[in-house]
Amino acid sequence: MSVSQPALTPSTVSRRRFLTVAGAGVTTSALLTMLDARQAPAQIKGTTLRILQWSHFIPAYDAWFDNKFVKDWGDKNGVKVRVDHIPHLELPARMAAEFAAGAGHDIIMNGSSILTRLYYKSLADVSDIYDSIGKKRGGWIPTAKPLVEVEGKQYGIPMFYILLPMLYRKDLFDANNLKAPDTWELARVAARTLKPKGHPTGIQFSQCADANLNWRSVLFSFGGAETDPSGENILIDSKETREALRFAKALFDEGMTPEVFSWDDASDNRFLASGVGCWIHDAISAYRTTEDTNPDVFKNTYIGMEPAGPGGKRVSTSAANVYMIWKFSKNQPAAKEFLVHFMEEFKDGMVQSRGYNMPYLLGDAQKPMPIIGSDPKMQILQDFPKIVAFYGYPGPFTTPVQEVVNLFVLPDMFTRVARGQSVDDVMKWGVGEYQRIFSKHKRA
Amino acid sequence: MWWQSHSAQRKTFGYTLLAPAALYVLLLVGAPFLFSLWLAVSDANVGDPVAHFVGLENFRAAWEMDTFWIAFRNSVVFLVVAAIFKGLLGTSLAFLLLQNFRGKKLIRGLVVIPFTLPIAISVLSWKWMYDSQFSVINWVLSRAGLIGSYGSESWPVWLGQPHLALAACIAVNVWRTFPFSAIVLLAGFTAIPLEVLDAAKVDGCTFFQRFRHIVTPMIFPILMIGFLFDTVFTLSDLSVVYLLTQGGPANASKILPVLAYQIGIQAGNLGRGAAIALFLVPLLLPALILVLRNIKRREW
Repeated sequence: MSVSQPALTPSTVSRRRFLTVAGAGVTTSALLTMLDARQAPAQIKGTTLRILQWSHFIPAYDAWFDNKFVKDWGDKNGVKVRVDHIPHLELPARMAAEFAAGAGHDIIMNGSSILTRLYYKSLADVSDIYDSIGKKRGGWIPTAKPLVEVEGKQYGIPMFYILLPMLYRKDLFDANNLKAPDTWELARVAARTLKPKGHPTGIQFSQCADANLNWRSVLFSFGGAETDPSGENILIDSKETREALRFAKALFDEGMTPEVFSWDDASDNRFLASGVGCWIHDAISAYRTTEDTNPDVFKNTYIGMEPAGPGGKRVSTSAANVYMIWKFSKNQPAAKEFLVHFMEEFKDGMVQSRGYNMPYLLGDAQKPMPIIGSDPKMQILQDFPKIVAFYGYPGPFTTPVQEVVNLFVLPDMFTRVARGQSVDDVMKWGVGEYQRIFSKHKRA
Repeated sequence: MWWQSHSAQRKTFGYTLLAPAALYVLLLVGAPFLFSLWLAVSDANVGDPVAHFVGLENFRAAWEMDTFWIAFRNSVVFLVVAAIFKGLLGTSLAFLLLQNFRGKKLIRGLVVIPFTLPIAISVLSWKWMYDSQFSVINWVLSRAGLIGSYGSESWPVWLGQPHLALAACIAVNVWRTFPFSAIVLLAGFTAIPLEVLDAAKVDGCTFFQRFRHIVTPMIFPILMIGFLFDTVFTLSDLSVVYLLTQGGPANASKILPVLAYQIGIQAGNLGRGAAIALFLVPLLLPALILVLRNIKRREW
């Protein structure tokens, strides 16, 4: 149940109202006490909990989550848990359908597109467990709260985020006396050197989630920004954005082939695993795919830090994942209990995801982290929490930013430049799109 | 009483038989259409149960979008090019299926498979066939010496080059639905009396003269109905473009249904999404009026 304490005045309080409010208060404090003591509230025994989430890019994670993690929790607490998986791109549509129907799952996941500000009126206030989890686990990373907070309350629990680091072929780099791609300029030099030898690089210049993430990493590392910290004002029109666009054009011309215009989120994974790519900027699902399908390439594939821009800045735009509880859920106590349990056992999930799931909680980000802390090639990922950002950086992921992301405005800007349109024309178009979208939302 | 008369009873019986179909259309087509009209003039969004009337604001907002006009143009191009190819291929296939040959029944069953396969499966198969690195089409063409090897300038990136992307989407749409056109035309061809065609042959008419002066006028109503269905299916086809390119690269293959979906559902702005979708109506309405008028004229 969401915790809301209406104001009471002696003259207006009826006995029924007093009992209702007092009862809610007792229930809530009992729930929190039990959550602290890790006891399942009695009222969730015998109930059913339904969770909707994506199909994880590491299939072993889903197998563990469904068949072990939720099953064990469910058996221990007397709750029947059903987990449904759909492709991550379908989550917004499914969320819209459940909202319209006023029925569906109890817990619903948002991946990449975090829709808190669209749906917060229909989501359960989970500020109580957000705070208690944070207190117990060392606090949240600074970029976590803007994902789930609206008007001072939290309407979701950030679960994990997905990094997109550099994945590069050290053997090719060494054979050509190339330095590791620690800066975007070094990455460009490597691509320029290796493309004529049959090993180009590739970043999506297309309308897909990775394009939204990758080009924002380039933009932000070049010193650009999307909105100001309030989220109200657009900062995309800057000389840093122009520099990033020019860089992308040069990188494409010198180091890529036109196939990148047709890539989807999985194309760069295949590109690396095929042995052709000299480096990609992608989630470690690509690293794991290569491990499973091409061991020879895998042993020469290394993970690099987010490249620095010209000013030395590093910003890694990551894919956020958040769990939310519908207000229409008939089992909010069980949903909250589950989320607390999930966050407390986060390290198990990190192990099962083979290091893919990255923690929002500072306690879980202490070195050595599971899997990535013990793998020499992956240890660098432990330094990413300091530089993680999400859409809208440095502002929050607001509804207009949501529309900008879903219409692929920023990837289109980079695509147009790569295709030969002038930077000035592209800036005019792109800034115009941002302004049009933001002003429409302001009018609404 | 007049309602007890024989003609009144016949009419009542007739309308009663029509009622289920009318109810179906009203509930599953009429009601959603009226609801979308309301959405288009409101500020409805996915997260708010209450919507307010905003007049033509959503239409004005769509009008001002650069992407909207690109999608509109692409939708018209998609419709016209797909219709031409479906007409040509459908007609050719219908004539082929009209002939007597061994295994005709089996072939007739096989040719409708593209139309009957779930769209997601068939489109994802095409996505693999168009893949930038592993395209089987490119590998065959490369082995045949018609294009260069992977990575060369002549290696087509089907879903990555602007003109090729839209053409690739059109090709999949045509592949999926031209069997439907063929079946409709085949039904029309089989209804033509053979004596008329034989008489025309005796009089010395060539194949194209018989097709133009005899076959086409006789099957015209069926042709028009098939054209109408095809127009509606093509213009409202979201799945092919959404699954292949999502409208990319840089909106080169974006069509109105995809744009409406991205704004209405993914971005959450139901009102604007509905307004964009309703721009399909002025495209469909002329086709509908043209077809129905032509059919009515021929009935006279």
